[in-house]
Amino acid sequence: MLYLSQAIGRPVRDQHGEPIGRVADVIVAIGDRYPPVTGIVVDTNGREIFLHWQSVTSLDASGATLGTSAIDITKFQQRPNEIRLKLDLMDRQIVDIDGRKVVRVNDLRLDEVEGSLHLVAVDVGPSGLLRRLGIEGPWRTLARGLHREVPERYIDWEDVDPVERTIASVKLRVPHKGLAELHPADLATIIDQLSRNDRVGVITALDDEAAADAIGEMEPDTQVDILEDLEPARAADILEEMDPDEAADLVADLSHESRAEILGLMEKDEADEVQELMTYAEDTAGGIMTTEFVAVRASLTAAQTIDRLRELEPDAEMIYYVYVTDSDERLVGVLSLRDLIVAKPNTPISRFMFDEPVAVHTDASQEEVTEVVARYNLLAVPVVDAEGRLEGIVTVDDAIDTLLPEPSKRRLPRLFSRSGAAER
Amino acid sequence: MKAPALSLTPRAANRVRFAAILGVLGPGLVSGFADNDAGGISTYSVAGVQFGYDLLWVLLASQIVLFFTQEVGARLGLATGQGLAGIVRERYGVRWAAFMISAMLIANTGSIVAEFAGCGAALDLFGVPNWVSALLAATVVVLLLTRGSYRKVQYLFVAVGLGVSVAYLVSAVLAHPDWGHAASSLVVPRLASSPLYWLTVVATVGTTITPWGQAFIQSYVADKRLGPEDLVAERLDVGLGAFLTNLIGAFIVIACAAAVYSAGKQIDTSSPDAIQQIALALKPLAGDGATVLFAVGLLAASFLGLGVVPLTSAYAACEAFGWETGVDWRVREAPAFYGLMIFFIAFAALFILLVPARMLITVMFTAQVINCLLLPFVLVFVMRLSADKKLMGPLVSGRFLLTVGWLGTALLVVLSLTLVATSLFGF
Repeated sequence: MLYLSQAIGRPVRDQHGEPIGRVADVIVAIGDRYPPVTGIVVDTNGREIFLHWQSVTSLDASGATLGTSAIDITKFQQRPNEIRLKLDLMDRQIVDIDGRKVVRVNDLRLDEVEGSLHLVAVDVGPSGLLRRLGIEGPWRTLARGLHREVPERYIDWEDVDPVERTIASVKLRVPHKGLAELHPADLATIIDQLSRNDRVGVITALDDEAAADAIGEMEPDTQVDILEDLEPARAADILEEMDPDEAADLVADLSHESRAEILGLMEKDEADEVQELMTYAEDTAGGIMTTEFVAVRASLTAAQTIDRLRELEPDAEMIYYVYVTDSDERLVGVLSLRDLIVAKPNTPISRFMFDEPVAVHTDASQEEVTEVVARYNLLAVPVVDAEGRLEGIVTVDDAIDTLLPEPSKRRLPRLFSRSGAAER
Repeated sequence: MKAPALSLTPRAANRVRFAAILGVLGPGLVSGFADNDAGGISTYSVAGVQFGYDLLWVLLASQIVLFFTQEVGARLGLATGQGLAGIVRERYGVRWAAFMISAMLIANTGSIVAEFAGCGAALDLFGVPNWVSALLAATVVVLLLTRGSYRKVQYLFVAVGLGVSVAYLVSAVLAHPDWGHAASSLVVPRLASSPLYWLTVVATVGTTITPWGQAFIQSYVADKRLGPEDLVAERLDVGLGAFLTNLIGAFIVIACAAAVYSAGKQIDTSSPDAIQQIALALKPLAGDGATVLFAVGLLAASFLGLGVVPLTSAYAACEAFGWETGVDWRVREAPAFYGLMIFFIAFAALFILLVPARMLITVMFTAQVINCLLLPFVLVFVMRLSADKKLMGPLVSGRFLLTVGWLGTALLVVLSLTLVATSLFGF
């Protein structure tokens, strides 16, 4: 590990240890994930010369050593894909994806990656600033005496946009806020790898929604461990945030005592839904369906239906289809959001609904569900019981889960994205 | 559908051009007006009280220097879209930036304390207790800066500045000065060899050209998102600002010269309430109205300084760290910027409320010394940066501007160091 500021101004020595100048700048080639160092600029008596990385045997906080005594003293010419770290990056403004100013580059961190030195991160933390001021050492001593930490903050080079030669500022690729907020799937991967005690610590620190998202992406065994280790009331809160079908699967795997206790602490509506879903075998349509869907009566007009949607404010996951039921809650038709919008406001929906909806039985196997979804190109398929009553829906992402081999399941991006930090 | 007219009539085109220039106006005016803050008005009053019309030529001279220093600052802002603190960090590194900004923040805090003292002195003439005026001024400024958009804040600043101008113009007229004498003193220097005379000369220039004024114009131009295409309008703006600034200064000198100096009155200008004594001294000759106007002018000028100086501190600190700046953002969109600004105002307000008057003078005096020591660095940075072709592009300083700029810088460096030397060691 080497910070750029530690190398700048240090002596450059040839192979016999004779000083020939000072390190003026370090050059990297951008394009790779972590740009490799391709050379250094040496200041020899006010004249800048370029040394190719191949002729440099070491570069560290004590300076650079060369492996050759023959130096090409041609004047340094910058190639298009190369940037000079000190001149082009140091102290530059970093702007967020929306152009807002976030922070400045305090220092640049270089690390050995696969045997050679690469630019890996931008130091934006207080420790970098202290280092530049030349008081990092004393400050750390002082901080240690006071039992305080000197905060370090870095932005991974991967999250920084490749820069042009004439840069006024450096742009981020990920919203600055989002840097701290990993995607639930990534968070889940990290938590999966932690020890059982640490997992609970991490989950406790998250809010209910984030915890629910992360747990939803985890291996079933880990899910159960975490829920049983959490305070039952907290576990209940997190389960309420999860999709009912996911929650039901999870609760079904819990021990009897935990299950009763957690369900007892959940809101009654949510607990009932979960319990209902739990009655279905896990590998059937009933087991994978969710009870969150929109159903309306056939007597409504298009305008009334839209009003109803507004009242319900359904999640994106189920809004595309509106199911139509009769007085016994039997599925009699389906509408797409498109149908609803293009219809004249006063038209009864029974006039234009699709009255032979495709549906699967609660006992249907997962494979059947998947087949139906694929054959009819559906975003969701309704699930009905023996009497034809609408019990739930299986969304396409839950349906195709079964098609994938186990380990890669978590990697698949969600088709229905959760509103995350990225969208703001 | 009828096709829209593609070209404007010459008259309409002129109107559009005029509107475009009006749109650019602001930074130079505000910066100029703000140079006549509480400290400025005290200095001008003292100059008039002690030397009558004799120092008017200094105002004309400092107007010229002010124009050139502000022009460079504005040009840097136009060319780079950045404040001075940010560019100094990029070009000269963290240490120089840290030095410049810490010195500026300390000196500015002293100036903010002086603005509060000015508000207090002005309102005291109307019988308002000091703590009330400090709290009132702090609250109004904070509300204004956090709630207002750039446009609104700028309009208000300009309006307040124009108000100050009118107040002093009228009080000068009311004092029945010898206009002929005043006009000739403006152009013909009347030199004297007394050290006090030269000290007052230096102080008069020093109150007009300040490090924060230099930093402010650049940040304010950048905050307005003006670019190289606005150069001509911005120069006009700066010229107008420099002219009006020193015109106000001249009216203050004239009012004090006529009502106090020529009337043969003596005022102890070193006492903490000198400015109030001066305001009251206008009464016998110029009437109650003049005293009221003088006080209102002082209040408005202090208030303007109270808005501009903390703004400059917040710009400088945020630019150096790279945090978002700008009066147009909402508080939560630029929390550091507004937080720092409120902090500086609150800190100075507490200072004025808790620290005894005698110590306040020491504080303002120290701030002035720091300002004088900092000014050479700031000017050298500005001049060197403005000559950097890579940074400035087409707006790079030409030979004429560089010559004038460096001459002005050299002059100001000498004046600043003289002031520091005399303040610290005496003659």
